[in-house]
Amino acid sequence: MPLLRRLTAGFAAAALLNASLVHAAPPGLIGAEQVAAAQAAPTVSSAHERLLAQLDRAEVAQALSERGVAPELARERVAALTDEEALQVARHIDEAPAGGDVLGTVVFIFVLLLVTDILGLTRIFPFTRPIR
Amino acid sequence: MQCQRRHLLALAVAAPALSGCASLAALGPPPPWLAGLPERVELAAVPFVEQARFHCGPAALAMVAGAAGVEVSADALADWAFLPAREGALQVEMLAAARRQGLLAVVLPGELRALLVELAAGHPVVVLQNLGLAISPRWHYAVAIGYDAAARELLLRSGAEPRQRMAWFTFERTWARGGRWAFAALPPGRLPATAREPEAVQAAIGFERVASPAQVLHAWTAVHARWPDNLPAAIGLANAQVGQGRLAEAAQVLAQAAAQHDSAAAWHNLAQVHLRRGERDAAADAARRALAAADRGGADARWRDAALAVLREATR
Repeated sequence: MPLLRRLTAGFAAAALLNASLVHAAPPGLIGAEQVAAAQAAPTVSSAHERLLAQLDRAEVAQALSERGVAPELARERVAALTDEEALQVARHIDEAPAGGDVLGTVVFIFVLLLVTDILGLTRIFPFTRPIR
Repeated sequence: MQCQRRHLLALAVAAPALSGCASLAALGPPPPWLAGLPERVELAAVPFVEQARFHCGPAALAMVAGAAGVEVSADALADWAFLPAREGALQVEMLAAARRQGLLAVVLPGELRALLVELAAGHPVVVLQNLGLAISPRWHYAVAIGYDAAARELLLRSGAEPRQRMAWFTFERTWARGGRWAFAALPPGRLPATAREPEAVQAAIGFERVASPAQVLHAWTAVHARWPDNLPAAIGLANAQVGQGRLAEAAQVLAQAAAQHDSAAAWHNLAQVHLRRGERDAAADAARRALAAADRGGADARWRDAALAVLREATR
């Protein structure tokens, strides 16, 4: 009986695994799930574009230069971000309270990431050299 | 996610007391958000399945499945939607177990009005309640089967009670502590009256992983009919049609979606369907449109390789 049970359980597990691997779209066709996922996640390049668009704003550029970050340098930093990192920073901006001080958030993120990079706590901007 | 009979009993004592108070007080005219809804609804045809200890999830599922014409016992469902270690069923597993019975499980908006609209449309609704407190939760799944607007009461099949009357006031509180989570499980050709676009699309995506191709076609047909502008729904519908050998219809759906969204995925799939029909020129044309859309960047860039491959195939 235990053997039978174990066999049944194994069979059920295999069936479950198989079912979870089912590819819903016919071979060669892109599935609805993939299309929906592509729509849901902001893509890498769009995350980069959104960050650069933030830097195009005159008030952001000015606030950054007031803190000693040249706008051109900030652009290089965005270009240096990996896809995943750009997404992370873009998400930070998205999560800023709606109607809140988005400008402050953008500047804060850029300056904070630069400082933490220099301190060696993060490695967002690869061209900064940690002090330790 | 456990459901305990002890607390159900406590509530069964409390609920009539509360409703008693409510009926003594002047309830006044019905609130404006009730406009257009029937005064009372009771879906008497929903079977009652008494829950075994902790098995409120499987019992609730068995009831809505029975109402949708699928005969299945709570014991059989417990294999799919019961975690002995947690003494309960997880929400995602409740949805997955419904799908495995061939039912399209769609999460509903977390508003009392949505529940009442659904009931008025004849659809029983599985609700997740927290009968305890936030700090000491007692999770419980029940099935809403009706309401009485005059008495401001909801009718539930819950635990050991085939016809529990619960004041809206009490229900709203127990429901809010459970995250206002509810779903309807219907045969795949039908959609809940209050379903929203993202939840319906997600439901169909989950459904196509486990259901038979014919059922999947029903589900996507219904979703596409209600939201013809939704791209994943058009893709899903066309894929289901291809799976059933209905290539001409699939080409039509894809051509429309591709033109409307200029989506690389839709153009790519259209090219594939043309290829399967032996229409090489049309396939090459669609593949070029797919490549152009992918080259524009953004979300479509990820289909570039697929677009290139189908273009090569079509122009070989």
